[in-house]
Amino acid sequence: MKARIHITGASAISPQPSFDREALDGIAAYDAHPLHVIMPDIAGYVDPIRVRRMTRSNRMGLLAALNALKRAGIDSPGAIIAATGDGCKESVERFLDNLIDSDEAIESPTAFIGSTHNSLAGLIALALKSNAYNYTYLQRGLSFPSALLDGLMQVGEEGVRHALVGAADVITADFFRTHRASGLWKERPVRNLDVLQSADPGAIAGEGAAFFVLDSEPTAGSVELLGADACFSIGDHDLGAHASSLLDPAGMATGSVDLVFLGLNGDQEEDRAYESARALFPEATLACFKPLCGEYYTANAFGLWMAWSALRTGSVPPEVVLRGRSTGGFRTALVHDHFQLKDHALMLLGR
Amino acid sequence: MNHPIHISGMGIISALGHDAASNADALLEERTGISAITRLRTRHRELYPAAEVKLGHMELGALAAPASLRGWTRTALLGLKAAKEAVADAGIDPRWPRTGLVSASTAGGMDRAENLYRQYFLDEVPDEAAQYVGTHDPGDHTERIAAELGITGFITTISTACSSSANAIMLGARLIRSGRLDAVIVGGSDALSRFTVHGFHSLMILDREPCRPFDAARAGLNLGEAAAYVVLESEAHLSARKGRSLARIAGFANTNDAFHVTASSPNGDGAYLAMQQALRSAGLSPGDISYVNVHGTGTHNNDGSEGRAVMRLFGDALPPFSSTKTFTGHTLGASGAVEAVFSTMALQHGACFANLRFQHAMPEAALTPVIRTLRGQPLRHVLSNSFGFGGNNTSLIMSVT
Repeated sequence: MKARIHITGASAISPQPSFDREALDGIAAYDAHPLHVIMPDIAGYVDPIRVRRMTRSNRMGLLAALNALKRAGIDSPGAIIAATGDGCKESVERFLDNLIDSDEAIESPTAFIGSTHNSLAGLIALALKSNAYNYTYLQRGLSFPSALLDGLMQVGEEGVRHALVGAADVITADFFRTHRASGLWKERPVRNLDVLQSADPGAIAGEGAAFFVLDSEPTAGSVELLGADACFSIGDHDLGAHASSLLDPAGMATGSVDLVFLGLNGDQEEDRAYESARALFPEATLACFKPLCGEYYTANAFGLWMAWSALRTGSVPPEVVLRGRSTGGFRTALVHDHFQLKDHALMLLGR
Repeated sequence: MNHPIHISGMGIISALGHDAASNADALLEERTGISAITRLRTRHRELYPAAEVKLGHMELGALAAPASLRGWTRTALLGLKAAKEAVADAGIDPRWPRTGLVSASTAGGMDRAENLYRQYFLDEVPDEAAQYVGTHDPGDHTERIAAELGITGFITTISTACSSSANAIMLGARLIRSGRLDAVIVGGSDALSRFTVHGFHSLMILDREPCRPFDAARAGLNLGEAAAYVVLESEAHLSARKGRSLARIAGFANTNDAFHVTASSPNGDGAYLAMQQALRSAGLSPGDISYVNVHGTGTHNNDGSEGRAVMRLFGDALPPFSSTKTFTGHTLGASGAVEAVFSTMALQHGACFANLRFQHAMPEAALTPVIRTLRGQPLRHVLSNSFGFGGNNTSLIMSVT
């Protein structure tokens, strides 16, 4: 017996005014990248002394997790599932610098402990004193959809009442410099809201954390999670077939989808992979989210938050609408994101 | 669990050997893989022994044989070698639809990054370094193995410290049980790196002698490197293609100790819950378990905590147990899969492997492990524990088909 799955709490920390809200409180424009999150005040969530020692990644992840739980009115989820592309990079970099500079002569236990990729999920368990299932996924653009799929199995099929699922990734100076060499970023400054028109190759770098509470029971205003998939693809990706694999089991057709969030990032070659969405969903509003948060491995968690917000409030910020209306309510939203044309994430929400 | 989940193939490369057969031989003949460090260029090489795979980059590259060696880290090469063996052993084609890959790693491609890191920042990155830019994250090896074997669809990486690949196996079993996949290659890979040796040196939990898990005089762990994978298949898929089952994954559970960032709770609460819940998921009671492959790292903290948890669960009826880390060292993200492969071998050979070098029981939990490898044992259910930093505890149960 499969249960329906409802998102009863969500929280995002991003370069936008998103924290502890169900819709953005305005749109922040930036003239250069990387984009950094607007870090909320931690008062009332965690002991400030403990937070001071946390990396930015763990701090934003823990805050988003605790805020999502608070908004859902839950204090003890039956599963804690985190995703990150490379979340402990701050500690890894500190440990590596020390290792290289001292040629392994100086010990740095704290940075080594922090370089364990599941440190955020472990911190959440410690904060909640939770013995529950505790997982961490790292698969670049598939990290968050893997975690979401896990939560979907837990709540939908394995009898868990609540699952906390989310993601966190930061941008650091070292990561930004390293990935200049792999051509991930735009070299010249570009205004974030204009990035999709930029002819330069690469994306703008960003960061963020977003957490969701999945519940087998609905609450007032909750949004239903209808499906999620993580698909590694070699060569062309068939969005139609992939979307059907989510829509068919939900008893829906492409015509049921009235809002599509696409992971367009301003790299013209990569963005071509989203072209088929226009014809596949001719009646739907098309919107983007990466001009708001930048590109990072788990940016699609912010994309899901945007879709959740749109279904909850009935509107999408006009600045991110590519085609169609921005108000008037939406019933079914699909998020399609890919990372470097290989990692395809699909997430389907309804209300 | 109503639908059996079968292990239809396995592959492993460790300090004991480059394939499953040589690993089984070493276990049965009590030959450890722990020795002086000869390959890894670490400052600490004189100080600590380790369980190295004694192959350089080109030799390992030739053995794993990717289409091009460009950008392949040691973790990815070890993983490819073991995954290929598992796939061939099972007789599946990884390009089949509804076939996935779930891998695990803690250090990922750090063996390259730690030596090339500063070169990544240069305006003109030399090719030796350029090919490794962006290969140190744990997702890299999984993506490379998937691309090499032609796996599309669901692939992912789990990184939960030293329970990582046990969790990869557990996720794979759940994906099969849910009907999302017919077959899935699950396991993990971790190469030795200066990063991990220096890290564990910083934590002061490395033994300068070959490790002695569960011994009163234990003084820490030895690091190792390995990759291990098993192929999991649904009953329907396996019988339709007339494949053979080596064993079943009968039970699994993951819990959190929620005690400390790195240390285990004194009474092993998370470990106890993981074992108890794994038994429940298999519909078994403690008396059904015929051998326990313990986590048994050799650190003061782990063995005391795990020992107490085991005593709480089994009481006076503790089945034979041992830590095979006395052979392979602690292979971190690969260890859960390494020990799932060893647990399957235990069922195949009717053997409980030795906990090498054991002399005196610990005062805090007076337990005596298997001292010499036992043969001719009628094993039915093997429990395997994998615990990690972040309070992460996983128990798997492998059963005869």
